Amino acid sequence: MGLARYTLWRVVQAVPVLIGIITITFFLANQIPGDPVQTMLGPNPGQEQVEAIQARYGLDRPIHERYLSYLSGVAAGNLGLSIYYDRPVLEMIMLRLPVTLLLMLSAFAFAIATAIPLGIISAKRRNKPADHVSRIVSLIGVSTPSFWIGLVLIIVFAFYLGWFPARGLVLPWADPADVRGAETQFQVIRTAAHHLFLPMIALGTLQMAQITRIERSAMVDSLQGEYVKLARAYGVPESTIVRKHAFQVAQLPVITIIGLGLSTALGGAVLTETVFEIQGMGRLIITAINNQDYELIMGTTFMFGVAYVVGVIITDIAYAYIDPRVTYGDET
Amino acid sequence: MTTPLLTVDNLKTQFFTEDGTVRAVDGISFDVYPGEIVGLVGESGAGKSVATSSILRLVDSPGEIVDGTITFKEKTLFGLEAGPDGEPRPSEEMLTEEEMRKEVRGREIAIIFQDPMESLNPVFTVGGQLREFIELNRDLPTEEAKQEAIDMLREVGIPDPENRYDEYPHQFSGGMRQRVLIAMAIACRPDLIIADEPTTALDVTVEGQILELVAELQEKYDTAFIWVTHDMSVVAEICDRVNVMYLGEIIEQAHVDDLFYNTKHPYTQALLNSIPRPDETIEELDPIKGVMPEAINPPSGCRFHSRCPEAREVCQRVHPEPRDLSANDRPHNAACVKYDVFDVGYDASPPLETDATGGFSAGLTQTESEAEADGGDR
Ligand SMILES: Nc1ncnc2c1ncn2[C@@H]1O[C@H](COP(=O)(O)OP(=O)(O)O)[C@@H](O)[C@H]1O
Ligand code: SF4
Ligand SMILES: [Mg+2]
Repeated sequence: MGLARYTLWRVVQAVPVLIGIITITFFLANQIPGDPVQTMLGPNPGQEQVEAIQARYGLDRPIHERYLSYLSGVAAGNLGLSIYYDRPVLEMIMLRLPVTLLLMLSAFAFAIATAIPLGIISAKRRNKPADHVSRIVSLIGVSTPSFWIGLVLIIVFAFYLGWFPARGLVLPWADPADVRGAETQFQVIRTAAHHLFLPMIALGTLQMAQITRIERSAMVDSLQGEYVKLARAYGVPESTIVRKHAFQVAQLPVITIIGLGLSTALGGAVLTETVFEIQGMGRLIITAINNQDYELIMGTTFMFGVAYVVGVIITDIAYAYIDPRVTYGDET
Repeated sequence: MTTPLLTVDNLKTQFFTEDGTVRAVDGISFDVYPGEIVGLVGESGAGKSVATSSILRLVDSPGEIVDGTITFKEKTLFGLEAGPDGEPRPSEEMLTEEEMRKEVRGREIAIIFQDPMESLNPVFTVGGQLREFIELNRDLPTEEAKQEAIDMLREVGIPDPENRYDEYPHQFSGGMRQRVLIAMAIACRPDLIIADEPTTALDVTVEGQILELVAELQEKYDTAFIWVTHDMSVVAEICDRVNVMYLGEIIEQAHVDDLFYNTKHPYTQALLNSIPRPDETIEELDPIKGVMPEAINPPSGCRFHSRCPEAREVCQRVHPEPRDLSANDRPHNAACVKYDVFDVGYDASPPLETDATGGFSAGLTQTESEAEADGGDR
């Protein structure tokens, strides 16, 4: 099986998982005590009003019927209507998802770009001062919650120093007319980067710390490998050994931790968005839960599920790409 | 004979560990002449691997070469001289790390490691790894190096080399991987190949095939070998001259025929007794008694005295340096005081009770300790 077919196979395999996610969220969401109609109409609504609303959102039908129609809706790309926003759920998600993706991607870019060199330096200079510094930094990193880092960053860099804005996010592709103080697209991008900086670090620090630790230990192992000894004995320069021979092998555990990190970072993103008042998926899901907006709860949870599954698939594919020992499902 | 290719003189390599200084290689000297196969034999832990990595100056930390000279074709791979403060320092002529890497490793001296499963990088193709070393050590452009790699794979008996070039190590069996490692060594066209127990991890039939292959290639390319092994039957099959190592020292050094048919050192004798020979019966098979002591605190006197069947009191006190005991025109060195040339009063010295002297006294000691254990239970 080639890599392309393997990818397709993994995607197909993900379908039952996604159906499972939908099923669980559907029934869980419907178990939340309280009633969205009540939330909307206040404590003493008129009977007609209630019936009208229930009919509009399909709440008058039996639950198994609603479940089946929701499933077929999802299959057709329709996630239903948000009661709270009074707009299609998919539209709300499309509005918010890019914000969260931007935050996640920049956090991971920051984490990977700093962690890999740090981990390698640490491994190369094992038990020397540079290694101790990097190990202490990553120990602090893995043991500090992202919202706390976010708060400290806001206090220091936004309030005291005033170097970065404390709240909100600007999308780099936004129209300059919509962004205060920006006239050209370039200025928009600059404003976006400016806004992104603190939340990116708040969310990325944990990942950075985790990746650094794994990179270090994987490189330490790899540098002690027999194949590294062999390369040295054949006159391969040390820099090539580190960059190529040892590095390539050491990336396997690193990829796994990055893949796992993608899912933990989703949780971190919810908190980070709250701390920095960013209108992303995290805020959306909280709004949905607070307002018992069934369809929006299901839609956002489903999207988180999809993101998780995509993370796993990307990890598997990257793994298969780098490690030739991974067989693509068949042993022929 | 011609001048030696490699001369190792009084080499000492030590590991500075928390438990103390491990004298892994403790003053060994030997030569390798062009085109010959020199054996380095001894039990596990004797210092064979440390000796070979010292030649390439690739001793793992916390190890260090602390004394001696290693010369290879006029080049000083290792050498010390007295510094201005009287402390030894690397000599003028000693190659720098850079020179070792560019001029010696791979290009002049190649190595084959023991573990074919671990020695190849799992994430690169077999051919790519071979090609990389050829490119580096023979200054060939990539395409030519690739062709050479394929030719080399064919030469070491890998079927369908064009296709197997692109396969990964896990798709090769242990024997096939060892062939690849041999191809790597030969392909760099070195004058000396160090083979560190290359067949130990393989089963006996594969071992036989590999030994045959090496003998063939050795003849064709006229490469000298240092063949490291703990197996005397391999020595008999492949080596021209042999160095027997015990606890960091070379205790016997001879032409292979002299070593087998005119064995001088009791340790060599013990090694020989422990392998089946066509001219001996199974009943005479006799493994060496006891275990080799730690290299941190080697025994006083002759280091083998704690296990030697012929040990006498004097062996505890006198540390024998190898001397030539040759009966023909080939040098035959051994370090054992039982020979008259050492003249330290061996004959007059009382026998020593050791792991190997066995018999009545050993039986008695054992019974005593067992009785003690029984008593403790009650
Ligand atoms: N990295 C190391 N640190 C400490 N001691 C070592 C190290 N490598 C080898 N030694 C010691 O050096 C001695 C010789 O080891 P080695 O050369 O591997 O033996 P052989 O190859 O003959 O089996 C042993 O006592 C071993 O414990
Ligand atoms: S010197 Fe003594 S102990 Fe050592 S090998 Fe000879 S007889 Fe045995
Ligand atoms: Mg060894």
